[in-house]
Amino acid sequence: MITLALGLGIAAGSCKKDEKKTDTPVSTAKTKYIVASTPIASTGVADYLLTTDKLTEGSITTLGNGKEQDGTYRYYITHKNRFFSLLYGQGNPGAVTTYNLSGSGELTKVSDFQSETVQVFNTVNDDVLLIKVPRSGNESASMYRINADQSQIVGEAQVNIVQLAGNGERAHFTWATQVGNKVYAPYMSIKGVSPDVFGTSFPDSSWVAVFSYPDLKLEKVIRDNRTGSIGAYFNNGLTQIENGDAYAFSPASATLSGKANGTKPSAIIRIKSGTTEFDQSYFFNVQEKSGGHHIYRSTYFGNGKFLLQMYGDANALTGMNKLAIADVNAQTFTWVTGAPADVALSATSRNTITSDDKQTVYIGLNSTAEGSYVYSVDVNTAKATRGLKVEGGKITAICKLTY
Amino acid sequence: MKFLRSFLFCCCLLPARAFAAGTLSGSVKGHQKQALADVVVRILNTAYGATTNENGDFLIANIPDGRYKVEFKLMGHHTAVKSVDIRSGETSHLHIALENSLQEMNEVAVLGRNVLTEVSRQSYNVTAINAAKLHNTTLDLSHALDRVSGIRVREEGGVGSRINFSLNGFTGKQVRFFIDGVPMDNFGSSFQINNLPINLAERIEVYKGVVPIWLGADALGGAVNIVTSSKARSYLDVSYSFGSFNTHKSTLNAGYTSKSGFTAQLNAFQNYSDNNYWVHVDVADVNTGKYYPDQRVRRFHDQYHNETIIGNIGFVNKKFADQLLLGMTLGKNHADVQTGARIVSVFGNYYTRGNIVMPSLKYAKNDLFVKGLNLRLNANYNLGEEQVVDTVYRRYNWFQQYKEYPGLGSERSRSLYTYRNNNGLATANLSYQLGKRHSFMLNNVFNTFDRIGSDPLKPGAEVYEQPQKLMKNVTGLGYKFDFNKRWSTSLFYKSFWQKTTFSQSYNPSGNWGDVAYLKQENKFSNSGYGIATSYFITSKFQVKASAEQSYRLPDTYEMFGDLVNLDGNLSLKPEMSRNYNLGANYNFHIAHIHKFSLDGNILYRDVQDFIRATLNNNQTKQVMENRDRVTNMGLDAEVRYSYKKAFTMGFNVTYQNLRNKTKYEPGSAVESVLYNDRIPNMPFLFGNADASYFIHNAFRKGNTLSIGYNMLYVHAYYLYWPSLGKDKLDIPMQLSHDLNMVYAMAEGKYNIALECKNVLDSRLYDNFSLQKPGRAFNIKLRYFIQSKPSHN
Repeated sequence: MITLALGLGIAAGSCKKDEKKTDTPVSTAKTKYIVASTPIASTGVADYLLTTDKLTEGSITTLGNGKEQDGTYRYYITHKNRFFSLLYGQGNPGAVTTYNLSGSGELTKVSDFQSETVQVFNTVNDDVLLIKVPRSGNESASMYRINADQSQIVGEAQVNIVQLAGNGERAHFTWATQVGNKVYAPYMSIKGVSPDVFGTSFPDSSWVAVFSYPDLKLEKVIRDNRTGSIGAYFNNGLTQIENGDAYAFSPASATLSGKANGTKPSAIIRIKSGTTEFDQSYFFNVQEKSGGHHIYRSTYFGNGKFLLQMYGDANALTGMNKLAIADVNAQTFTWVTGAPADVALSATSRNTITSDDKQTVYIGLNSTAEGSYVYSVDVNTAKATRGLKVEGGKITAICKLTY
Repeated sequence: MKFLRSFLFCCCLLPARAFAAGTLSGSVKGHQKQALADVVVRILNTAYGATTNENGDFLIANIPDGRYKVEFKLMGHHTAVKSVDIRSGETSHLHIALENSLQEMNEVAVLGRNVLTEVSRQSYNVTAINAAKLHNTTLDLSHALDRVSGIRVREEGGVGSRINFSLNGFTGKQVRFFIDGVPMDNFGSSFQINNLPINLAERIEVYKGVVPIWLGADALGGAVNIVTSSKARSYLDVSYSFGSFNTHKSTLNAGYTSKSGFTAQLNAFQNYSDNNYWVHVDVADVNTGKYYPDQRVRRFHDQYHNETIIGNIGFVNKKFADQLLLGMTLGKNHADVQTGARIVSVFGNYYTRGNIVMPSLKYAKNDLFVKGLNLRLNANYNLGEEQVVDTVYRRYNWFQQYKEYPGLGSERSRSLYTYRNNNGLATANLSYQLGKRHSFMLNNVFNTFDRIGSDPLKPGAEVYEQPQKLMKNVTGLGYKFDFNKRWSTSLFYKSFWQKTTFSQSYNPSGNWGDVAYLKQENKFSNSGYGIATSYFITSKFQVKASAEQSYRLPDTYEMFGDLVNLDGNLSLKPEMSRNYNLGANYNFHIAHIHKFSLDGNILYRDVQDFIRATLNNNQTKQVMENRDRVTNMGLDAEVRYSYKKAFTMGFNVTYQNLRNKTKYEPGSAVESVLYNDRIPNMPFLFGNADASYFIHNAFRKGNTLSIGYNMLYVHAYYLYWPSLGKDKLDIPMQLSHDLNMVYAMAEGKYNIALECKNVLDSRLYDNFSLQKPGRAFNIKLRYFIQSKPSHN
């Protein structure tokens, strides 16, 4: 055991050296995928973390297998080859558990630390950035920087979201994305008053708050009025591509009293590299090109191509998940074939992961009829192919680590 | 010790002159000269008869002249027959005592809490706790109930902490609580079983499965009826206890009844505790979130106190009423909130408070218009309010350090929300006895609810102004057939009705920001029915069986939420259960020295549209849903033994096999992997053992010293579904031991009790990670006098 660990240590050390010497690291690391699954039941539900070598075939099950996670809703993120399991604890603070893979590829707990219940989590530099966004009551959103190596909070900042919105409503951050050396946090405007907490009277604007890093000072708000807000509750809507441009996805899904009230189409807009404005020369009207469908969520393949999850019903914020591929450079839109049609959209699952060669997005699809499978979506053929079967529950997240 | 040794003493006969019609009056007592109620008094070979009231008195008027034989019958006693001469215009008197027919009761009754025979001998599966025997302990009602087979009370912490009551696998609102037959569901947080002292109760009846018609209301899997002392007598019972964690509890119960029938009753009680017991917890650094593992720290924000006073005045045994009482319950409580659902989330300022202001009316009249027609009415209205206070923008850790943030915020969810539920309740019970064998009963329970609330922090939040009203009515019709002394059967039918009025928001014009509310109404109606029967194979061996189909209507919190942690679900359907019970009890003795009592029950429950808590769409609050189908095959058994009057011991065990029978979950056509799995986070095997030793005439004649021991065992159970996962979270096995010593002086007039709970200072958990108190000491002093000879 000791010699094995030692050997690995040397291997890892030499790997780093290689990186410094040449720009093409020779990776000897093996990959494990971590699939989180929640049983379909109304009570007593926990997530189970399952590990697998392949997403393209075979089956795994939660029956008598997997690491049980405390708390009905948990979220996962990997950074610096560590896996963070975060509790969504209904406003309460809770324990975050950090795992890595042992030499034999077993998911092993590294440490615990305490954090708040957050709605936004993403990697920024060496940190995992968390943002707690109160939807009513408290007027300040809290941002926490978790150092991924230390697994503890190393910085904290507050921003008054009522002042930020400046329209009598609240700025509710949908996500936060590192763009250059800054953090761009798109937000939606919400009333924050029961019973229509997420309702808004401002459905037709896009906002992105720009924060410095690591001190998280609000520097600017970028605004546009051609589509709705960027991203959605618990959903990233902003991705920086290889050339430094950031593409913003608007589902245009605002509501008031439970009814859609937006008048602008679901679209993709752009912030050019080096600027802090939306590029008025670029407007990709996805709703028009798809025949009326709204964007639900996006996952980046690479080279300007995104996998889109779309609302299944045209000109409505309803319907089952439909997959499509969008090329933001060419402004083309292609429906994906081969995926089951009876998959419900879920705001909280993080079911996609992109292959290293940027050709495939693996997506966990929970079909009513056939159960839960991981599908591989090919960026070139726009075909979805059924792969790993996950028995005993819905897929809620797919991550990967190396060892 | 109502049914201790008995002896018969004779009546006296009064000579009188002969006229057309006369009157017979008298009283019936037990061996200890205690009044015996409900004794059937019949003048043989005539239609004349009566039943004794709570004072043991009876009166039969308009009897033709003559010499008669009068029969006195009461279950559990030898029937007595006396001769009497009735003469016109005169009143003859018969005062008699009945001998207890169950000799073996004498010894078991030393501490046999399950032998309140009148109750236990019903057809229903019922266990009666003789609360009077626990009056020297510092138990609250929930802890007394925790010792009954089939019952598990799960606590989150110390005095006043939230509890989760389970009876044969049913939890929460599925089990209804009653106080003197009046449903307790509307009483608010100031008047619940976790804050009521044991001294308030005379006896506690636990119905498992089928609930008798006279309790009314909608219960799914059972009911608990707390019977307070309603004896028309004068008494004073004062107690005070002090214990670990700065816990003070006191009670005062007093009653006065004049010869003219005027009566006044007062119950006052108070609980206070800092609940600052030690816990083991990983303490997070307030800045970095880093854990300092397994620290031993005191709870620091868990003070609980409640103060309640209940007063009743009125009349008893008058012509116009056997009982007419006007009452008022006033109380308040304050509870600091120390933790969230897990011990790692800790609060330092957040608290809740509530009060109760409840006028009530009780009326009872026997032989209304015709003999055998008895009427009981109850009404109350709760004007109390509840509030959640969370306005301090801080984050605490278990070292009591905190970070304070500027601006308006909270520890959990900013609130000063206050609401009144305006609960009203009226119950009526009409019973009629036709001959010896047939009795009929009609019961009606009516509830109203009209929530009005506001939060000064959220002015203009229109939801608080919208109607949230509910009306519920449950009517029950019952028939009881007593074929003979051995065999008795009850049939019943219940009709459930509920109407909810609420509003839904909509946009009337289509313009932005335009909101209006549409008033909506929902109605449910359903019916249930059942049968219960019992048969004495020998006088000491009884078998019971019952079956029913029953509904439970969703309650107001489940429909409208509590605006704190629970969202309303206005589309909840009633949950339906089919319950089957089979029980037997057997008493025997060896040479009248060693007495044994055996009791066993088997039950089966099949519940549909089980109402269970789930998280709402935003995963911030709970919301109740109709989802699972669940079955439960359960067993419970109890064995008791006593040796003379010196020693008693008992043991009970409960096993319940709750299984998930939802084959296809909504949103899935694939068979659920959890089909047939055991319902998680529910204790399934648990038991109690107790032993007591009595030294009579200790140190002085008339003084009794008793030394008692109690043990609780709960098998470990999983937090989540048992069949899933490999590294699993569980609630570990609980084993705790309590010791107590009671010294009763002057026939129970003065009492001193010493208790040690959790003697071994075990780490006990009922809920995942929420540790319960360790070793605790209590002393209780009690003074008890009454105008009539002691009945206990």
